[in-house]
Amino acid sequence: MASQVETSSVLDRQAPPEEVLIRTEELWKTYDMGAAAVQALCGVTFDILRGEYVAIMGPSGSGKSTLMNLVGCLDTPSSGKYWLNARLVSELTDDELAYIRNKEIGFVFQTFNLLARATALHNVELPLIYNGTPSKEREEKASEALNMVELGDRMYHKPSELSGGQRQRVAIARALVNNPSLILADEPTGNLDTATGDEIMNLFDRLHESGNTIVLVTHEHDIAARAHRIIHIRDGKIDRDERIK
Amino acid sequence: MAVLSQARALSSRARSQRVAGAGVWATSREAFWIALEALRAHKLRSFLTLLGVVIATTTLIVVMSIVNGMNVYIATKIANLGSNTFVLHQFKWAQGYDEMLKALRRNKPIRMEDYKYLQESLIGYEAISAISQLQPGPQARYQGHSIDEVTLIGVTASHAIIGREKALYGRYISDQDDRRSAHVCFIGQDIVDKLFPMVDPIGKELNVGGHTFNVIGVADKVGSAFGISQDNFVFIPMGAFRNLYMPNLELMVFIKAPDSRHMMELEDEVRVLMRARRHVPYHDDDPFGINASETLMAAWRNLTGSIFAVTIGIVAVFMVVGGIVIMNIMLASVTERTHEIGIRKSLGARRRDIMLQFVIESAVMASVGGIVGVALAILIAWVVRAFFTASVPLSGVLIGVGLSSAVGLFFGIYPANKAAKLQPIEALRMEN
Ligand SMILES: Nc1ncnc2c1ncn2[C@@H]1O[C@H](COP(=O)(O)OP(=O)(O)O)[C@@H](O)[C@H]1O
Ligand SMILES: [Mg+2]
Repeated sequence: MASQVETSSVLDRQAPPEEVLIRTEELWKTYDMGAAAVQALCGVTFDILRGEYVAIMGPSGSGKSTLMNLVGCLDTPSSGKYWLNARLVSELTDDELAYIRNKEIGFVFQTFNLLARATALHNVELPLIYNGTPSKEREEKASEALNMVELGDRMYHKPSELSGGQRQRVAIARALVNNPSLILADEPTGNLDTATGDEIMNLFDRLHESGNTIVLVTHEHDIAARAHRIIHIRDGKIDRDERIK
Repeated sequence: MAVLSQARALSSRARSQRVAGAGVWATSREAFWIALEALRAHKLRSFLTLLGVVIATTTLIVVMSIVNGMNVYIATKIANLGSNTFVLHQFKWAQGYDEMLKALRRNKPIRMEDYKYLQESLIGYEAISAISQLQPGPQARYQGHSIDEVTLIGVTASHAIIGREKALYGRYISDQDDRRSAHVCFIGQDIVDKLFPMVDPIGKELNVGGHTFNVIGVADKVGSAFGISQDNFVFIPMGAFRNLYMPNLELMVFIKAPDSRHMMELEDEVRVLMRARRHVPYHDDDPFGINASETLMAAWRNLTGSIFAVTIGIVAVFMVVGGIVIMNIMLASVTERTHEIGIRKSLGARRRDIMLQFVIESAVMASVGGIVGVALAILIAWVVRAFFTASVPLSGVLIGVGLSSAVGLFFGIYPANKAAKLQPIEALRMEN
């Protein structure tokens, strides 16, 4: 309640209108490697509207993951501005960032990033634990999410007992369980064979149809072609931004 | 309106607290199982990790148990002069060896004349008796059997009322025996067991240190204190004792009050009478000792205090060492699990969630050490009880487990804070 008042001060003159979910302005990211500094992003500016389905394409090392990590509030830019949901991310506190990662963003990684020790169910429950959902409701929501990715019968399996595709589906269930406004996926099919990759992509298509905003990174044309818009990146800069549907 | 919005604010706060509670509970429960799993998975490492805490807890509880057992032991076996009874002696007991030597040099012994004087001048006592012991104890013989050293004591007949040695059969020494300096004796169970194993001792002639005494009574078993039997005694009439062994008697005078309130008064009165009799200037100390069960208990409590001071030192050292080892293990654990911390942060874990997780883990680990320590202490107490005394107090168990988990909590803070401060992306990048 009090934070609502505070956030209005975060609103900037350049703050985007309601329908813009993501706005970046001149994002730079420099990795300081001691002797040499690596320029991973060199001034990236774009808007993504609510409900869009965007693919970010580019060769390996072009800065796609760096960009996704910034958009996912996992990392901070060296310079530039980033608004998510009309809030300037650089002005948020640690706890507010944690809240955003928990509630507003569902992140799907190329390497799944599941807890090896925990069951599928517990992995999906984690985001609910961190927003204090009571245990009964937590279990309901987590099993519902697992059912949605057709893993209702694998809830008590550990990641090591699941195939790559199944692991990624667990990760997707985990990304969805808090009903985030934004789903980010960094090469979600990168570690999967083509058939399994297609299954996963069908899942993303369905998520988009049901109204989710999706941004996914890939370097495969077939996969990018499923999106409605492709942002091409090369050497840390936007090369081309094309609407394909 | 205002009331309504206030109520809403309250209920929303209550809800947010309940919700936070659910997260804390889930995080704690998870940390609990992770800690137990880590201990189970690396048994040797866990053993070494928890050794300090285990030793600390065990030491603490074993000492507490023995002291606890000793409290009862001292109260019933050592500091038990009989109810409402105190003893006038040449010096105050249980003050330390140097003090005793000084008192022996400075103070005159309590003599028969002192006893007679008190017997006549003191009023309001229930009984007054005198005893005197021969040092070292003489040999006792009956026919072929002998005991190298017995406790030979001259007693007045009135000691029957005060002493712990009560007649089992036969009779105690009488006033008449005393007056006539009769060569009779009243003996303890050990004497019966060793010298009269097959015969009724009553009426037999017992030889003690070259003199013979007719056995007139046998005492009921008194028991033992610190493994030393209290039944190895021969009581003879004070008159005979003086004639045969100690012409110039040195006595202990026992005075029994009718109740505890009168005991204080009687102690004061004895003090006043004795000081007057010894012509003690106003500011000088008593040239004698008035000893009660409480004197011995106070000395024991004093000793207990020193024992605990040393114990606390030892326990503190082990706890700190144990805590530092746990801290190291937790630091290693944080490094090993950096990627996991990254995953958790990417899913919305706040600093305090990660903090809580690792602090709880550390506390649970240390508590397991505490519980093992308690179990070990109970085992040791059980063994000790077989030949001595020990009784595990509940407070010891609670302090043991409480203290070790507190140590875990405290030493978990630094590693937990290190984990909590990690940046999500940097933590995620650490693959293992
Ligand atoms: N943590 C890092 N430290 C140093 N350099 C990095 C780091 N992460 C990425 N880079 C560099 O930044 C550039 C972009 O990397 P990245 O965003 O991972 O590209 P992509 O995901 O498109 O393959 C690369 O040159 C890479 O070597
Ligand atoms: Mg990448």
